[in-house]
Amino acid sequence: MGDGEVGRDLAAVDWSSTPLGPPGEWPQSLQTAVGILLTSKFPMWMAWGPRLTFFCNAAYRTVTLGSKYPWALGQPASAVWAEIWDDIGPRIEGVLATGEATWDEGLLLFVERSGYREESYHTFSYSPLRDDDGALVGMLCVVSEETDRILGERRMSTLRDLGSDPSIVRTEEETLAFAARQLERNAKDLPFTLVYLDEPDGGARLAAATGIDAGHPIVAALATAEPGLVDLAGEGPAGEGPAGERLPTGDWPEPPVRALTVPMPPYGFLVAGLNRYRELDETYRGFVELAAGHVATGIAAARSYQAQQRRAEELAELDRAKTTFFSNISHEFRTPLTLIMGPVEELRERLSGGDDRVREELDVIHRNGLRLGKLVTTLLDFSRIEAGRMQARYEPVDLALTTGELASVFRSAIERAGLAFTVDCPPLPEPVHVDRGMWEKVILNLLSNALKFTFDGGIHVRVTREDDEAVVTVADTGVGVDEREMPRLFERFHRIENARSRSNEGSGIGLALVKELVGLQGGTITAASTPGSGTSFTIRLPLGTGDLPADSGSPLSPAGDSYLQEALRWLPGEPAEVPSGSGDGSRVLVADDNADMRDYLTRLLRGAGHQVHAVHDGQEALDTLRTGVFDLVVSDVMMPRLDGLQLVAALRADSRTASTPVLLLSARAGQEESIEGLEAGADDYLVKPFSAAELLARVRANVELARLRTHHTRWRTALIDSLQEAFFVCDEAGAVIEINAAFTDILGYGPEGLPYQPVHPWWPREETDAEAYRQVAAAFATLLDQDRGAYTIPVRHQDGHRLWVAAAFNQVVDPDTGRRVIVGTVRDVTDEHYAIQRESALAGLGLRLSQADDLPGALHGVLEELRSLWQAEYTAAAVFAAGAAVPEITAVGAPVPVARVRTLAELRDQPLLTPVTRPAEGTGIVIEHPEGTMVLWLELGERRPFTEQDQTLLALLAGHIGQGLTRLHQIDEQRETALALQRAILGPAQLPAGFAVRYAPATRPLKVGGDWYDTVPLPDGRIGIVVGDCVGHGLGAATVMGQLRSACRALLLQHSSPAQTLTALDRFAELLPGAACATVFCGVLDPESGELVYSSAGHPPAVAVAADGSSHLLDQGRSRPIGVRSGGPRTEAGFTVSARATLMLYTDGLVERRRKPLTEGIARATAAIQDGRRSPVEELATDVMDRLAPADGYDDDVALLLYRHPGPLDVEFPAEATRLAPVRQVLRGWLDRVGVDRTVAQNVLVAAGEACANAIEHGHRDAPGGRIRLQAAATVEELRLIVTDSGHWRVPQPADQAHRGRGLKLMRALMNEITVTTTITGTIVEMQVGIL
Amino acid sequence: MTTQLSLTTTRRADGTPVLTATGEIDMSNAADFAAALAGALDGDTPLLVDLTAVEYIDSAGLASLFEHVERIRLLAGPLLAPVLTISGLADLTTVDGS
Repeated sequence: MGDGEVGRDLAAVDWSSTPLGPPGEWPQSLQTAVGILLTSKFPMWMAWGPRLTFFCNAAYRTVTLGSKYPWALGQPASAVWAEIWDDIGPRIEGVLATGEATWDEGLLLFVERSGYREESYHTFSYSPLRDDDGALVGMLCVVSEETDRILGERRMSTLRDLGSDPSIVRTEEETLAFAARQLERNAKDLPFTLVYLDEPDGGARLAAATGIDAGHPIVAALATAEPGLVDLAGEGPAGEGPAGERLPTGDWPEPPVRALTVPMPPYGFLVAGLNRYRELDETYRGFVELAAGHVATGIAAARSYQAQQRRAEELAELDRAKTTFFSNISHEFRTPLTLIMGPVEELRERLSGGDDRVREELDVIHRNGLRLGKLVTTLLDFSRIEAGRMQARYEPVDLALTTGELASVFRSAIERAGLAFTVDCPPLPEPVHVDRGMWEKVILNLLSNALKFTFDGGIHVRVTREDDEAVVTVADTGVGVDEREMPRLFERFHRIENARSRSNEGSGIGLALVKELVGLQGGTITAASTPGSGTSFTIRLPLGTGDLPADSGSPLSPAGDSYLQEALRWLPGEPAEVPSGSGDGSRVLVADDNADMRDYLTRLLRGAGHQVHAVHDGQEALDTLRTGVFDLVVSDVMMPRLDGLQLVAALRADSRTASTPVLLLSARAGQEESIEGLEAGADDYLVKPFSAAELLARVRANVELARLRTHHTRWRTALIDSLQEAFFVCDEAGAVIEINAAFTDILGYGPEGLPYQPVHPWWPREETDAEAYRQVAAAFATLLDQDRGAYTIPVRHQDGHRLWVAAAFNQVVDPDTGRRVIVGTVRDVTDEHYAIQRESALAGLGLRLSQADDLPGALHGVLEELRSLWQAEYTAAAVFAAGAAVPEITAVGAPVPVARVRTLAELRDQPLLTPVTRPAEGTGIVIEHPEGTMVLWLELGERRPFTEQDQTLLALLAGHIGQGLTRLHQIDEQRETALALQRAILGPAQLPAGFAVRYAPATRPLKVGGDWYDTVPLPDGRIGIVVGDCVGHGLGAATVMGQLRSACRALLLQHSSPAQTLTALDRFAELLPGAACATVFCGVLDPESGELVYSSAGHPPAVAVAADGSSHLLDQGRSRPIGVRSGGPRTEAGFTVSARATLMLYTDGLVERRRKPLTEGIARATAAIQDGRRSPVEELATDVMDRLAPADGYDDDVALLLYRHPGPLDVEFPAEATRLAPVRQVLRGWLDRVGVDRTVAQNVLVAAGEACANAIEHGHRDAPGGRIRLQAAATVEELRLIVTDSGHWRVPQPADQAHRGRGLKLMRALMNEITVTTTITGTIVEMQVGIL
Repeated sequence: MTTQLSLTTTRRADGTPVLTATGEIDMSNAADFAAALAGALDGDTPLLVDLTAVEYIDSAGLASLFEHVERIRLLAGPLLAPVLTISGLADLTTVDGS
């Protein structure tokens, strides 16, 4: 049975139940036929046997059989194809009966293989099959299904028809009707169609229908259909529309059951009834949509066409209205023109012998009247042609003769323009029918045009015959027409821009009129042109028949004259013979291409007294202005070659003419025009027509303005020249292009050398003065780079001498050229420069000298200053001290070369303060030095010259240095004296016990001051304590201090009251110059009780720090400084210094710091005491001075006085046992003051007693009369005792060992620490015990 | 000037001899004190040395007391206590506080 699925399925058939029986019994012929069938790739089926049992192959199954497979296998063919048996049954019977094959192509068969009756097309052939015996027993069908092809062709045809409307489509209705016809022709795919168009109200209107009556109820129903499939069956009984009306069926037996709605945005939508025998597959749907698209496109085209149509009609209407308007207005012009021209003619005749001026003006009126008349006539002609009302009066004319005559009218004008004119008009055999007037206009227009655009060569007019046409050619050798412009040459109002012409006048209708007129004569006109070499117009007119009228060659009509007159005015005329007027010298240049206007302006301006020169166009004006000087240019805007705006631009771009004022005249009255004119740089703008008075007023104003401007220029020149400062202008490259007189005065370079290119000749020479050259180069760079600036530089006068100049510059934009220039001034600051150099050098030196602490320091500073001033390589000083063999050399920058030491020694004998320059070495100068002679030496290096000014400065400075050093030397000495004096005054003081004092002079600069301290033992056992501060420093202050101190001491002894002492000191100070305003803290202390009475004369308060660290400020009893008269009596206050407390008196130098409150300094000092309260007071004094000293030392002198209460005990007594009790008594009292308790006191007494007893017993046993010293001192926490004797402690003997041992044992037990030091001079026992 | 010291010898009602010292005892009068001590000693009867009114006593005075330490008893105030203790006298004889 073969392979494949079909083979297997055939094998599965129960063949025994068929008439064919089991396959094994099949005849060979059947087996062969089945084999052929199954192996063929072409769709085939066959029927065999009495019941025509059905076989098919795989291709047939796929293409045609559809859902009937595999059921169909083995079935009778009549059952398989029951639905089409009517069609194919007879064919098969015929084959079986006749043995002849059939052929059917594209046969429509309704098959049911997909669940519905399906339209399908098949091309097939039935051929007979015979059994082994040759009998006809079956048939073989070879078939190809063609459904797709046929449907495709059908649909394509519809779409093609829809898209190929042969007519140029018109209205929407027509479009839709056409579309409907095409759709209707495909009633198979489109049983019916409905086109609905959207209505403005939102509804839809049926615009076209096919296959269905527009009145069918479903039409209205579908008007609201949504896009997509519509089920028509739902609209009524099956196959019927609503209201039971049967739907049309199209080309089918049954009506459609579904419809497809396709939108056609934005117009509407199309509803297509669908072929019920085809599935709505993608192809079908695509077809309907494409069809709808075609309809939509048609609608779009129709609507767009309609819109264009409407627009064209509107435009045409507008054009008609315009023509009418032109026509009317032209007529209106004619009346006043007639009334002007008539009287003018009359006047010309009447005044022909009169005043020349009047005659000329009448001529101007006449000519321009003619011109206006011509323009009006041309316009009128046009409107007539437009309106179709041109009345041509045709007559047979001898065209050659007439044309030749017309041409000759222009001969004079053309020849005056320097052009050749050839007229070649041989007679024609036949006349031509033309309107004489029109022909005249044609020829005159062409000639006028040729003259206007031809500057060299010539103009040729030729009349010839070609076949039965007269050919008239007007050719020129003018500027020609650009190829791009050719198509528009005959267009109305089209003017060719930028073409060089004799006149810019023209309306742009000449050639258009010519064309119209030629057309009216039944002729044609063509143009040929080559830019730069000429244009030729060729007119062809049919030769007519008939005789020439008698009046042919009639004289020129008045219109001809107007052409000629106009053309003549384009040509350069004779210089206008107008009286030049009185004139005040203002020169005016008039540029206008219209001769009448030119003459008119000339006459008008000369009449007003101006000197006038008239030219024909902008180029000529520009050439004239570049060679002559004018106060004003009056120019037309529209001119050939170079128009007014271009003229202005050209003038403004050239510095020679940039400031010449320009008054533009124009006939165009738009605001943009005047703005354009003014933007181009015109000074004024006047619109035609203008009155003579207005023109003259504007001219006058502009001339005056111009004069004012040139006045400004003259004034500027005078002003700049009168400047004392030099003035210069540089261009962008730095070349000096303008200078004034002062510039020449200062630098010696005059204007004759302008421009001065950089490097300017006044720059210092790079080879001889590189540094100065660098300075100038740097300044020059800023000049070019920066917007503004100022600098001072060294320059060289033309005669070679050195100058210093200060220059200031600004960058500005030259308003005329728009270029950047640099404007600057230069001032000779040579004197100032050296003065400033001198002053700053002196100031610098002064500072160095004043800051120095000593001579060597000062000298070093001076050398540094000189080195920086001259930027020297090094500076040196050699001091030759009297009697010294070798000079002492100080150098800054670099050590002095050995070779120079000899030079310095040689210079030593030179006169004082006279600079000596050793070429290639350096410059030296001799100065007096306190210790001998000094040579100052500078070496600049780098081949830098030491100029005359440098020498002067050095001499000046040397003088100051000498004085400074001497003064410093004196100050040094003075200071030494003062310090010695101060120390002498202050010490060595016999200080009472418990006191410590310090004095420190100010460190920087080291100087003594007026601070002092003092302690005065008073007769009553109390101690006067004083700390004071005199105003000022130095020797004077020290002297005053000494006297005040003495006075204070004396007064204390006398009064023993601080307040009284200070009051008395006030009086004393009045007698002592320099004493006033001294501050003093004065107190009287009872060393036993610690009671202190004090008074302060403007002095910082004393500070007391108790044993527990608490502090107290002694700020009562305050009053004014000494010698200040005011206020009441001085007061005093009391304070008790507690046991082991520390009292501090000081001067402000200790606590005063710049930019810090005094209280801060006092707090710091207090803290120092607090921290040091465990130290002995002497040690503490040193600590305080160290701790409060600023990093670089005190900048004011300081006096400090400390007291620790009670003062230490120091008793000396003879080494006798009887002295022990009194000493003990004294010690007991001291211990009491120290504030120790009884137990400690007892311990101390015992220990001290033992030590003393030892001293008596052992130290002095062998040397009676010796003395013992007991010293005791307290700090906050402990007591120190020292017992000193001058004897020798005997080595303890065994006899008294127990006893002595007991004493030592006691001492060790009672004291914290015991040290016994025995020397040859004596024994010292030191003991220490804690108090707390 | 010799150090202030007064020495009084009395006998209590129970017959105990008493040496009362007032003032200070140092090197300068230690001999006087020693003499008074010796004089006040009466046979085997312990002597009561009253130092309550003594403000100061140094090693010389203490030495006198050590000499008779086995026959004396001491009466002393807090002021002398440290000295008597440190010297070891308090360990050798009876010291009564007052």
